[in-house]
This record gives sequence, C-alpha cells and structure tokens, in this order.
Amino acid sequence: MRFLTKSNLFLIFVGVLLILFPFINDSRSLLILLTQVFIFAAFAMSYDLLLGYTGIVSFGHAMFFGIGAYSTGIMLKKMDNTIGFFLLSLVITILLTALLSYVVGILSLRLKSHFYAMLTLSFSGLFLVVAEKWRSLTMGNDGFTFSIPAVFKDRIVFYFISFFFMVMVLLFLRRFTESPLGRILQAIRENEQRTESLGYTVLHYKVIASIVSGVIAGLSGSMYAITLRFVNTAVFGIDVTLDALLMTIIGGVGTLFGAIIGAGLIDFAHHWLTGLAKVYWIFERWIIFFGILYILTVMFFPLGIVGTAKHWWKRRKIKGEIQMKKTA
Amino acid sequence: MDVILNLTINGLATGMLIFLLAVGLTLIFGLMDVLNFAHGGLFAWGAYSGIWLYSQTGSFMIGIAGAIITGIILGWLMERYIVQPVYGNHIQQILITLGVMLVLSEMLKVVWGPNQLSARPPGYLDGSWSMGGVILIKYRLFIIIIGVLVFIGLQYLLNRTRLGLIVRAGVMNKEMVQALGINIKKIFVLVFMLGSALAALGGVLLGPYSGVIYAEMGMEFAILAFIVVIIGGMGSITGSALAAILVGLSGAFMAYYVPDAALAVNMLLMAVVLIFKPSGLFDGQKA
Repeated sequence: MRFLTKSNLFLIFVGVLLILFPFINDSRSLLILLTQVFIFAAFAMSYDLLLGYTGIVSFGHAMFFGIGAYSTGIMLKKMDNTIGFFLLSLVITILLTALLSYVVGILSLRLKSHFYAMLTLSFSGLFLVVAEKWRSLTMGNDGFTFSIPAVFKDRIVFYFISFFFMVMVLLFLRRFTESPLGRILQAIRENEQRTESLGYTVLHYKVIASIVSGVIAGLSGSMYAITLRFVNTAVFGIDVTLDALLMTIIGGVGTLFGAIIGAGLIDFAHHWLTGLAKVYWIFERWIIFFGILYILTVMFFPLGIVGTAKHWWKRRKIKGEIQMKKTA
Repeated sequence: MDVILNLTINGLATGMLIFLLAVGLTLIFGLMDVLNFAHGGLFAWGAYSGIWLYSQTGSFMIGIAGAIITGIILGWLMERYIVQPVYGNHIQQILITLGVMLVLSEMLKVVWGPNQLSARPPGYLDGSWSMGGVILIKYRLFIIIIGVLVFIGLQYLLNRTRLGLIVRAGVMNKEMVQALGINIKKIFVLVFMLGSALAALGGVLLGPYSGVIYAEMGMEFAILAFIVVIIGGMGSITGSALAAILVGLSGAFMAYYVPDAALAVNMLLMAVVLIFKPSGLFDGQKA
C-alpha cells in the first residue's frame, strides 16, 4: 500500500477540493484566476525541469510560451475556431518548440551555464522583435483577439480542462524525473564532470531535458491564449520568464509541487497587488516588490517553501529517530 | 560611396557605445567569474541620471560626470550587498543579478516617470562638418573618440600599471594573489565599480545619440552586449572591442539595406561563432 502514503492522501484531498471548487463557489473571477494558476503551474514545472532538475538557467522560457500562444491564436483566427484547428495548433506548437529547443540546446548547452542563459535571453529578444515587426501575421504590439472553440467557452469546462492539463503535466514530469533518465539529469546538476566521466554524454541528456521543457512550456502558452482569447507581444516578454523563475524559486527548486505552490502564490499576489494599485500609486510599480522579494528569496531562502518544508521534515525525522534510540 | 562612409561612421559610433557596455561585462566576468545580468540596468541608470543632470544644469560634461558617479555608486552597492554573498555560485549569481536588473529598471520609472526622456547634443557637438560630400556628424565622431580613448586607457591600465598586473594575475590565479598579501576583495570592488562606471558612461552618451532614452533600453542594449561578449570571447577586451565594432557595423548596414533583418544578423553572427569557435573569436584570458 505504498500508494496511500500520507502525502498522497493529502494530494488527493486537495485534488478533490479543486474538482469540487466550481460547484461550491460561484465567483467567476476566482475561477478564472485558478484556471490561470493551473496553466502557469504547468509552465513553472517545465521551468523547474531545467533549473531544479538539471541545473540549467534559461532566460528565454517566454519564447516557448509565446510560440504556443501565437500558434494557437493565429490558427484559430486565420483558419476556424474549431477543436480540430486547436489540436492542430498544439501539434504545430510541439513541432516548433521541439525544433527550437533542440537548436538552442545544441548551440549552447555544451558551454558553461552563462552561455545558455545569455543565448536564450537573446533568442527570446529576437522573437519579441519578430512578433512586433511581422505585423501581417501578429498585428504587432497591439495583438489581436480571436474566438475560441465553443467547448472552451464555458469557463467551468475550461477550468476542468486546465486542471486536467496540469495534473497530466505533473504526472508526466514526475514519471520523467524519477525515471533513470531523470536521475541522470539530477546527477548532471550535482556534478557534471563526474557524470561525464561515468560515461554519460551530458550534452545529449541536457538537450533532451530542454526539449521536454520547451514543449510543455509551449503547450502552456497555447492554453494561456485560450483563457485570454487574445494574444499580443507581451507573451514573449522577459516578465513571463521571470514569473516562471519566481514561481519555481519561491515554491522550491527541484520539487514539482513547489512550482505549483509558487504559481498559486504569485498569481494571487499579482491579482491582489494590481487591485491595490488603484488605491496606492506605488503598487503600480509592483514589479519592484517582486524583484526585491525575488532577490531576498535567492539570498536567504534558496530552498523555497516546499524545499524548506522537506528539509525541516527530514531533520525532525532524524531527531525523532535519535530520541527513540536514546530512550530505547 | 558617401552612403557607405556615413554608414561606417554610424556603425562605428554604435559599436563604441556597445563596447563601453560590453567591456564592463567582460572585465567583471574575466576577473570575478560573475556574469552580471544587471549591467543593462546600470547602463540605463547612467543614461537617466546623466541626461537629467544635463537638462538641469545645461552642461553635458556635468551630465557625463554625474552618470559616471551614479555608475560607481551603484556598482559599489551592488558588489557589496548583492554579488559578494553569492561568489562562486554561478546559478545564484545569474538569478540574483537578473532580479537586480528588474528592480533597477522599475526604479527608473518611479524616479523619472514611465515616459521617455528626450536629449539633444550640446551646442558644441551639434551639427556636422561636410567634407567633399561626406557628412561627418560631430556627435558621432565624439563618441568614436571616447570609445577609442577608453580602449587605450584600459589597455594601459591592464598592461602598464601595478593595478593591471594584479588584475591580470587575479584572472590567472585568485588564490595565489591572495596568498601574496594582496586584498583581492578590494580589487574586485574596484573592477566592479570600473565596469559599472563604463556602462553608465555608455548610457549617457547614448542619450543625445538616439535622441530619446527609455527604461527598457537597458535590457535591449544588454542583449547586444551579451552577443558582443560571446562573439569576442569572455574576458577579452580586444575581443569585445572588435566584436562590438562588428556588431555596430553590421547593424548599421543591415538597417539601411535590409531593415527587417537588422537584429537577426547579430543572432546569426553569434550562432556562427558558437558553432565554429564556441569560446569566441578571441579566447578570453581565462581559456
């Protein structure tokens, strides 16, 4: 009965609560906010696969997200707003993001981490410029609205779809990180040279990690476009990457649940601070608070919420065992 | 022919501005092994504080001095409180300096408002000389001269002075320098302040050159500087200078002949360099 551990029971409990939520609560804005949390949680988990599990810093995660958002938006606008074209746009997203992350990975992952960070930052800058300049396709900075397939129009249905999406991503990534391949990724994070000398082609595994992460980020972008029914160049912005970074770090690097908790916290804080901006002008610049919070987290709270909790648990457990031994 | 010459001067001037930004990055990386993602923020702060002082006092020189002082102060604060705690941990450095970048560029909007500021060259640098059909814009020549002077100055500093000797030795072997009784921490702060001051100088010079400054320019130019540092080779000053000129020139020519591909050409340059010579055209002193 290893499946029914305490933590799994707790998760099932939270899952059931989230499934019941739309029937208990009738606040539309809260429903939409939670839908966004699910989508960003998937995005943050994909980021965590890079940062937390493989030890790669990417500053261009927004480009995958943006590609997903734009391919869905463009397909639904230029073709037709049916499920078929939505699925087709997902296929396009998967192909494009896989290709892009492969190219970027091959170009830079054999170098030190700085190069990957810089290269991804520059590439996403390039995408931002392309999206702004290619007006016939993207309508530039103004963006465009589009109508979505009829099934998605019901907010409650879409709530379940995005919940399902998040759970699928979680299960997949859990399986992925616990597989032998995932173990190798963690070995790379801990000590690249040693992994190399054990006979693993490090580059190969890093590229696989970046492709998986890129594809999931792209799919979250597609989902995000559906919630907004609108796309503009903001999806390529550096803030999108930073959001993912912040969610991962606050929640706890290297723990998938951390990414989910981080996504929830950040999205709710976002919502709340934008609300406050109407009252106090300084909150219009809420990014400053985010930035400061982020710096402080990196400095003083590097394990994040879930990481710290795990650490604390472990220590308690060890202490308890010592106590038991003493009394025995 | 005139067009080509004008484009060349234009490209050289842009290249020199990027050089001022990139050389700080490469110096800080070369010695301290810190990749400073907040460098663009220092650049933007230099631009805003310098242009603001210039518009208040009417003297461009005071503006430049103000920008440099801003850069030095911010550089000192950053090194002391942000970078020092995370020495030796690359991932943390990258993450934390990006956070600083974010705070710096938002703070700009708090202090000077979200709108862009406009700037014009001072009277004595405004206008142009005409030489047999070629128009030499004074301000661009001024930027080129400053860039060349900074390059010469840095070469002198690194190759002819005691400080430069320590810095070069520090690049080779930090612990050995420390063991010889030199406080390498102090040198680190100095190098960081120098790099920040150069970034701020680049920023204030950009103001009258492009006519407007805005908060997002830090990120834009930082990306260019990263490209330059990758092309030139991390830690190499000569490499940065040549790569900056290359990027400036190709940008100017592409903007004129194929405007849509202007930014893509830099990416392409970088990609080609990464494929064929991943350590950059000039291997850094680290290599």
